[in-house]
Amino acid sequence: MNDRLKYIRNFCIIAHIDHGKSTLADRLIELTGTVSKRDMQDQILDSMELEREKGITIKLAPTRLIYEYEGNEYTLNLIDTPGHVDFTYEVSRSLAACEGALLLVDASQGVEAQTLANTYLALDNNLETVPVINKIDLPSARPEEVKKEIEDVIGLDAEDCPCISAKDGTNVQDVLKAIIEKIPAPVGDENAKLKCLIFDSHYDNFKGAICLIRVFDGKVKKGDKILMMQTQKVFEVTEVGIFVPNTKEVDVLSAGDVGYLAGSIKTIADVKVGDTITSAENPIEKPLEGYKEVQPVVFCGIFPVDGAKYGELKDALDKLKLNDASLQFSPENSSALGYGFRCGFLGLLHLEIITERLEREFNLDIITTAPSVSYNVYKTNGDMLEISNPSNLPPAVEIDRIEEPMVKVNVFTPPEYVGSIMDLCQEKRGVYKNMVYLDKRRVELNYDLPLGEIIYDFFDSLKSRTHGYASFDYEFKDYERADLVRVDILLNGEKCDALSMIVHKDKAYTRGRELAERLKKIIPRQLFEVPIQACIGNKIIARETISALRKDVLAKCYGGDISRKRKLLEKQKEGKKRMRKIGSVEIPSEAFMSILKLDDENK
Amino acid sequence: MKDLSVYIHIPFCERKCNYCAFVSYCLSEEKQNEYIDKLIFEIKSFAKNDKNIKERVVKTIYFGGGTPSLLSIQNFHKIFKAINDNFKLSQNTEITIEVNPNSVDVEKLLEYKKLGINRVSVGVQSLSSRTLKQIGRLHDKKTALNSIKLISQYFDNISADLIIGLQGEKNITKYAKKLIKLKVKHISCYMLEIHENTKMLNLVNEKKYKPLSDDMVVKAYTKLSKFLTKNGFLQYEISNFAQKGYESKHNLTYWTFKDYVGFGVSAHSYIDGVRYENASNLKDYYLGKRLSEPKSEKTEIEERIMLGLRCYEGVSIKKLKDLGYNILENENCKAFLQKGILRKENGKLFLEPSYYVVSDYIIEHLI
Repeated sequence: MNDRLKYIRNFCIIAHIDHGKSTLADRLIELTGTVSKRDMQDQILDSMELEREKGITIKLAPTRLIYEYEGNEYTLNLIDTPGHVDFTYEVSRSLAACEGALLLVDASQGVEAQTLANTYLALDNNLETVPVINKIDLPSARPEEVKKEIEDVIGLDAEDCPCISAKDGTNVQDVLKAIIEKIPAPVGDENAKLKCLIFDSHYDNFKGAICLIRVFDGKVKKGDKILMMQTQKVFEVTEVGIFVPNTKEVDVLSAGDVGYLAGSIKTIADVKVGDTITSAENPIEKPLEGYKEVQPVVFCGIFPVDGAKYGELKDALDKLKLNDASLQFSPENSSALGYGFRCGFLGLLHLEIITERLEREFNLDIITTAPSVSYNVYKTNGDMLEISNPSNLPPAVEIDRIEEPMVKVNVFTPPEYVGSIMDLCQEKRGVYKNMVYLDKRRVELNYDLPLGEIIYDFFDSLKSRTHGYASFDYEFKDYERADLVRVDILLNGEKCDALSMIVHKDKAYTRGRELAERLKKIIPRQLFEVPIQACIGNKIIARETISALRKDVLAKCYGGDISRKRKLLEKQKEGKKRMRKIGSVEIPSEAFMSILKLDDENK
Repeated sequence: MKDLSVYIHIPFCERKCNYCAFVSYCLSEEKQNEYIDKLIFEIKSFAKNDKNIKERVVKTIYFGGGTPSLLSIQNFHKIFKAINDNFKLSQNTEITIEVNPNSVDVEKLLEYKKLGINRVSVGVQSLSSRTLKQIGRLHDKKTALNSIKLISQYFDNISADLIIGLQGEKNITKYAKKLIKLKVKHISCYMLEIHENTKMLNLVNEKKYKPLSDDMVVKAYTKLSKFLTKNGFLQYEISNFAQKGYESKHNLTYWTFKDYVGFGVSAHSYIDGVRYENASNLKDYYLGKRLSEPKSEKTEIEERIMLGLRCYEGVSIKKLKDLGYNILENENCKAFLQKGILRKENGKLFLEPSYYVVSDYIIEHLI
């Protein structure tokens, strides 16, 4: 083997959310002196404010670590991966860039649904998976049991796996040792034709789209002409470099290396995660396997609170899309909310991240409508429509059948909650598939569920019914026929299109009633009584009434303090700006989203 | 001639009432004297610096608090001297003093009369001894009634304050009945507001005090306004009722954009279109700190709508137009007119009294 390759290790860390992935990455960076102690801040690879706050990794962040072991200097390329089901495809591509993975398991929580899902991904990519048990400093830590769990549930040898505390640094050296000893060095031929995998991309205002790449064969340097095999586009390389963890330009990236490549690529759409880069002059014949076109699965309408800010919203979405090819949007017009966009996301977390970024980074006040999935609607005339906005559903007489997306769901839970989870899946129209007792403390349940039910309130319900002990993961299965109808909401007799929803016929009454009840709570009293009706077609299925406003007056104008009262009124009026008017009824903008969240029982 | 109203803030109290968020202190006599000296200094410097002082005629003076009836007679003399030295008073200047039922006696009343005070506003708040104790007042029902009887021997123009919304006080109309019998000419009834940093807020949070529900407040208020209106009182502002000729001229200046100057800690002024607010703590007040809010058309429009709709006088459509706002083109205004919530008459807009209880909602939709 080539001597250079012998001292390279490419690895990633996979873990369930909260099991300490970013903290371990921090310790490794610190231990190898990649970042000086002075510049060290918590969770160094989570660069977005939002990532640090939510404790999750959204964008991939590779780092080159240099470590001396038994007299040799090793280059360890760490690729941090997002740990959330929404980003499974990105995870799978970053795994494909590695030879090995650290499987980080919390010493008190043990194996969780996501741990398993990510481990399978790693195994699918033929990665050497090294278990690491973290958080042994916690009083509730039970490393020996967790080791057994890893062996029984996942089937990995955990006998002498490192037991560490990434938080206080205990035994982290063992991790570095395990990386070098257990994870194989990359193989590749730097004299062969260029073959690189794009495992992520981001946008730089000066350099254009940046590809994060793993070189499998050949070399790439500034001035080379490269070909993107999926898009068939050719670019000239303007820069190659590595991450330490900030970018650092290098002369060349060769087989086995992880780094980045820039090439005056103007739009991120030209850089597809999973695509293969080769030489434009001397291309390889077959691209790397595993490329997938990423499809959004969750949709919602996004509207500016202030209708005049439509242009600003568009600019903001354009900018976010520069960095996030998976975000999709197209103009939409709602009679209730005016002009806005229908946006497609990889999942609910992705949706939440984008809406939060719009508000924080772009300072926009937005209204989001309840999330929906995309339905395949077959019309009697033979046409098929993909409907992600309930108000676009054709009249019932024109519909032959509707198909909805189904997902395979994997739930991990302590046995005492099996009953209530089964009830929940039943309520959510789930089809039972399998149940396995992994050990005394843990059961794995498999169900097929409509995605539309998952995005409704499945996650919150699951967490509340199991006191947070259950974890779940899902993957897309197929489209299946279902008996679906649209429930509309009338406020004071006027239809509010932004509140329409597509639901299963058997649930239409319950959901219509719930929605009407929730709206009653959310919509403030108006001068007049406001009836809220839920209906299917012309048939009213539920009714609630918001009684008229009784009292809204500050009786006293204190000894000439007119300003105070005026400011109070201005403030109240400011609050009203976030209201939308449907006919004569004012609705707070939060209503459009929060109506689909479960009521907080403590409220 | 330019009319001027003068407000004098006396921030002394024997104890603070549970609901009170006004600036007031329990001060020693020495500290009270110090305060009055500063107050007099403020009166003098205002007169010295006001470019219109020569044209001003003081139409009303109002001693508010705190508890002005705690102020010593010597200090009253000092203040009146300062006013007389620096301002021109009109023939029939309305001079009001706020008193607490437990802090008036014959001697004080006689002195007040000598000083020229001609209107007394009594902080009755309730005529239930239990309620009064609950909210931390120092008087009971009997003291309240007796003090009004006593005051009425010397003064004709008496006003009484009532609070709507106190725990258990579903019917305050019966109090109004008693007050009318005692020849009270003016009643202010304020709906209870629970402010930050008050004992009452803590009590409410600890569930030890339960104010009336909004619905009950509205009921009590509506019943009271009906009763007073029927008995010859004019509701000249949301919270104020008076027999003919007994409206508080002083309060009206606040609501009709006439000049007023406030002396004392936390006092407010409106002079030639500019609003001022004295510092709300003694230390800063003694340093002469105050805030000002310059004239702006936007704020004047908002204030005119806000104040006009709360008053019997209404708001002048032309005045708003002159300020650049054609309120009749406002969609909400059109809807309110159409629904009979607003009334247009003689170039003015009026809020129907039955909508006073939701006036903030209406005003927000018009500004």
